[in-house]
Amino acid sequence: MARQPVWDLPVRLFHWTLAALILFSWWSVHNHHTDWHIWSGCAILTLLIFRLLWGFVGSSTARFSTFVRGPRAIAGYWRGTWRGIGHNPLGALSVLALLAAVAVQVGLGLFSEDEDGLYMGPLAQLISVDASDKARDLHETWFNVILVLIALHLIAILYYRARGRKLTLPMITGRAEVEPGTEPMRPGKWWAALICLAIGIGITRWIIAGAPPFGP
Amino acid sequence: MRFLGFVAAGAALLLAGCGDWKTGQANSSQGNIANESRVPETANASAVAPANNMMLLAAAPPKDQALKIMHDRHEAMEGLGKAMKTLHRELDSAKPDINVIRAQTATMAAEAAKIPSQFPAGTGPDVGKTRAKPEIWKQQQLFVQRSKQFLAAAQAIDAAAKAGDVNKVMALHENVDKACKACHDPFRAPEH
Repeated sequence: MARQPVWDLPVRLFHWTLAALILFSWWSVHNHHTDWHIWSGCAILTLLIFRLLWGFVGSSTARFSTFVRGPRAIAGYWRGTWRGIGHNPLGALSVLALLAAVAVQVGLGLFSEDEDGLYMGPLAQLISVDASDKARDLHETWFNVILVLIALHLIAILYYRARGRKLTLPMITGRAEVEPGTEPMRPGKWWAALICLAIGIGITRWIIAGAPPFGP
Repeated sequence: MRFLGFVAAGAALLLAGCGDWKTGQANSSQGNIANESRVPETANASAVAPANNMMLLAAAPPKDQALKIMHDRHEAMEGLGKAMKTLHRELDSAKPDINVIRAQTATMAAEAAKIPSQFPAGTGPDVGKTRAKPEIWKQQQLFVQRSKQFLAAAQAIDAAAKAGDVNKVMALHENVDKACKACHDPFRAPEH
């Protein structure tokens, strides 16, 4: 079997940058670097917007329309009748859950302030002190949800590995062994990726500025 | 080759997005506190007075009294946090209300003065639930010095507020932020 492209460069960069930033967010907030933590959250927001857009205009394996399938496809995958590249119908649920959980976490963070009132998320001024404290509480609690999803993600990778399928290397190189006759990946346009990134940065900058007309 | 070009262009875009996120915002002063323990210079004059350690060296109170001290100081610190948050919101608003500002800075100055007496020996984590680190009593002189620096910063901002000088309050509140952090980083344990 020949090695064929399965993940485009934007998807891989998104994946590893997101993983690194989640780790960095956790580290920075536990080491008295709340300002870096807020920065990191803003960077994750940019990534999420990028990934959402790339899910519509990216390569075939990046598109939600390709990998988000109904229960019948999931059942088919379970029975072993699924053939394809990219996220399988069951893994798609994990992708959606991770993206949604991180989005909720970023959303809560935007409205949070630290317990001492030294740092405020970019949108914290839009709500009251008490509401902002509540947002921080939820932000702390919700991190556990993310941890559980990351754990499931890693366990799934180990499980496939035990059954002889290596998933990590393709996420680095972009290529995997593909059964002959499988429909190949249709790549996206590099300039479309840059436009998606530019939109992500633009929306993030707008939020950082304090949203509506730049402030309460 | 095209991949390299893509990565380079993406990196350039990211850098373009990396202006100072605080500059777009009124609460610009919230940043850069991380530059550790640089405390307001105005405070240095009154710092390092060994006689001020008296409170900390006082005999350990009985347990029920110790627990009450710990509870009260927790409430007091929470009140300080609320004053900070309210102050920052007021300073960020389009039309800061000097009366709201004054109420917060008055709380800060009053509470700051009490801090050294709120940490007598025997009110550490070995006695009950507290985020006060044992370092407070191991490095008493530094702790008292930091609390004095916070007091000086709080009194300075309170004086500016009393004088009705909102611009000066804006300029000084960064000193208060730094003084909070300069004591919390070494002497307060994380939550839970």
